Amino acid sequence: MANSNTVLGTRAQEAATPAISVSKLVKRYGDMVALDHFDLEVRRGEIFGLLGPNGSGKTTAINCILALLTYDSGTIRVFGEPMTPASYALKRRIGLVPQNVAVLNELTVEENIDYFCSLYVPRKADRTPLVEEAIEFAGLGDFRRFRPGKLSGGLLRRLNIACGIAHRPDLVFFDEPTVAVDPQSRNAILEGIRRLNEAGATVVYTSHYMEEVEEICDRILIMDHGRHLALGTADELKTMIDAGERITVESPDVADETLAAVRALGFVVEASYDGRELDVRCRRGEHNLVDLLGVLRAAGVNIGHLTSRPPTLNDVFLELTGKALRD
Amino acid sequence: MWSTFVMTLKANLRNRQALFWLIVFPLALATLFNGMLGDLAKGYEVRALPLAVVEDANWDQAPGAQAFIGAMSGQATASGQAAESGNAAESEQDATEYATVERLVDATPAESIDGARAALADGSAKGYLRVDGDGRIALALSPSAAEAMGGISPTDTNGAVAVAVLNSMIGLYNRTDATVRDLLAAHPEAASSQAFWSSVGNTAGAAREVSLTNVKPDMTARYFYALLGMACLMAMGYAISAVTYAQANLSPLGIRRTVAPLGRGRQLLAGFLAGWLCSGVSLTIALAYIRYVCDVPLGGREPAAVAAVAVASFMACALGTMIGAIPRLRHSVKVGLTSAIPCALSLFSGLYGQFAMDLSDWIARHAPVLALINPAQQVTNLFYDILYYDSYRPFIGTCGVLLAMSAVFLAAGAAMLKEQRYEHL
Repeated sequence: MANSNTVLGTRAQEAATPAISVSKLVKRYGDMVALDHFDLEVRRGEIFGLLGPNGSGKTTAINCILALLTYDSGTIRVFGEPMTPASYALKRRIGLVPQNVAVLNELTVEENIDYFCSLYVPRKADRTPLVEEAIEFAGLGDFRRFRPGKLSGGLLRRLNIACGIAHRPDLVFFDEPTVAVDPQSRNAILEGIRRLNEAGATVVYTSHYMEEVEEICDRILIMDHGRHLALGTADELKTMIDAGERITVESPDVADETLAAVRALGFVVEASYDGRELDVRCRRGEHNLVDLLGVLRAAGVNIGHLTSRPPTLNDVFLELTGKALRD
Repeated sequence: MWSTFVMTLKANLRNRQALFWLIVFPLALATLFNGMLGDLAKGYEVRALPLAVVEDANWDQAPGAQAFIGAMSGQATASGQAAESGNAAESEQDATEYATVERLVDATPAESIDGARAALADGSAKGYLRVDGDGRIALALSPSAAEAMGGISPTDTNGAVAVAVLNSMIGLYNRTDATVRDLLAAHPEAASSQAFWSSVGNTAGAAREVSLTNVKPDMTARYFYALLGMACLMAMGYAISAVTYAQANLSPLGIRRTVAPLGRGRQLLAGFLAGWLCSGVSLTIALAYIRYVCDVPLGGREPAAVAAVAVASFMACALGTMIGAIPRLRHSVKVGLTSAIPCALSLFSGLYGQFAMDLSDWIARHAPVLALINPAQQVTNLFYDILYYDSYRPFIGTCGVLLAMSAVFLAAGAAMLKEQRYEHL
């Protein structure tokens, strides 16, 4: 009984351990600081979004976590254990889907998946069902004898994913897996990631497509200049910024005085009128729409179609990281 | 590691570009060489010259000339001389020596000089032989044979050699015949001396063929060996790919493989071994083609030649490992080097004709260190050692040079790989 309690306690403790725990990570390239005391915690079983503009340090962070890069200071733990290039037991539990398609052009779809799976599962008998499962997962059953050169962009991306997840990893890194694919393939890829997560895998997802991240990620970290800027669910992040809704009013007769009155409202950040549509960007506020309509009615404006769109993750991202162009 | 080895093997065998350069290219070039250089080799062969032999009254009175021309036509036997000498043992030895003599004349009898000239006119003979009243043999040549003798014939490249040899032999016969006649005139008693006649016969052994090499030299073999040297260096492409696809800083595939739970050293080793096997097999195919289809000799030491292929391809893979490990150099550039380096180094190993062969020899004589550090030259030397030297010592020495080169290349490659980290995605 004591033994079973100990085992249960150990399992509970293991379950409570984060999948990834990064603390005060510093990585320098010469004089440039790529990661500046960067902190990160990814819980087990979640889909974690890692966002940041180009050069923000997210790739460096992932590479440090995967022990592809050395770092100057800080600690990295994966499933509670320190991650090093020789942590083969940990590596067996990790899958990677790199941004660039990384397969062998001389091998068929099936051979590629089998080879990359063999790096984790040496026994052929153990591996064969996993390979079949990965082929089915990626919807590549009809293309198993094809070489990569004969596949479309979407199928290549799916092959790239199948090669990364065939060994059933507990933790999978997806680095911009939907770049340059059509909406159907993108949808299939996102569906697949959800299914993986439902099967118990923890997912770290990076992308520049905010709507994707908002759609599938449980929590999102926004980083820039190697630092942690904001962390939370998509809704939580939206509450962290000052931007409120964006109101659009169709109207043929907004006078200059009326536009000035709208701009004079305290919650209005920016207002413009093109002769057909009034576009108003607001700060956070509970009565923005009511107050705006009050001004328009008082001025006798005829109101046609009206929309009010809450702030998006893209708004959050731009507000936190700025609008300046990056490399 | 086994699966990485098998995967690399499959990928290598399906790499059409590599297969072209390692199998199709050497075979095509060897075929080309065979066509071009075959005639060159034949130019050094002594072939029977079609001659008319005037069998007139003088001929009937010159049994010595008859025996001599018979011997030149391959009709001679040692029995006549053996009977004269009466020495059975000597007879057996002489018979063996005579049997190895080349046939120089393809004789066609003619009853008179006019008949012989008619044979020249209709092209069935390139000249004629006749015996004068003093028993001396005279050679008359057709204009084409005379051109060949002067080395100016564009078509009859070997005629000059045949005519030169025949002329020399006839001159020797005439001088010996004149000497014997003079001696017999002065000392008629010598005719009954067995020792005298034996000493006359001994002049046939004044010139003796002595082989200084393992086998008879083949003027064209070096070109084929230089071709093997070039093909061997092209095999380094396998090792370059093996390194590139295992290094995270060099390819996306390297990233994926580096995060897998298989050590980088074992992945590199598997790739190296697969590349070595593929290049060894490719070169063995090229070697077999050169040996058995192009009929280029290996001195009966084919197993040693296969060992040479193994050593040479090992060196090529080691060189490929070093080039593959060079950081901040694109893979496409490295692939380009697999053609550029062999092409450049083959210039100094004599692949590109007589000028290159002379240059190779000049370097070997005046700058032996440059020849020593040229892998293409050393691979060429491997096969050269096998063919020409009686002993295996030079071959083993060249193997040692190539293995030392391999050690340097691998050490340099390992040092570069050790320092490399993944820097950019």
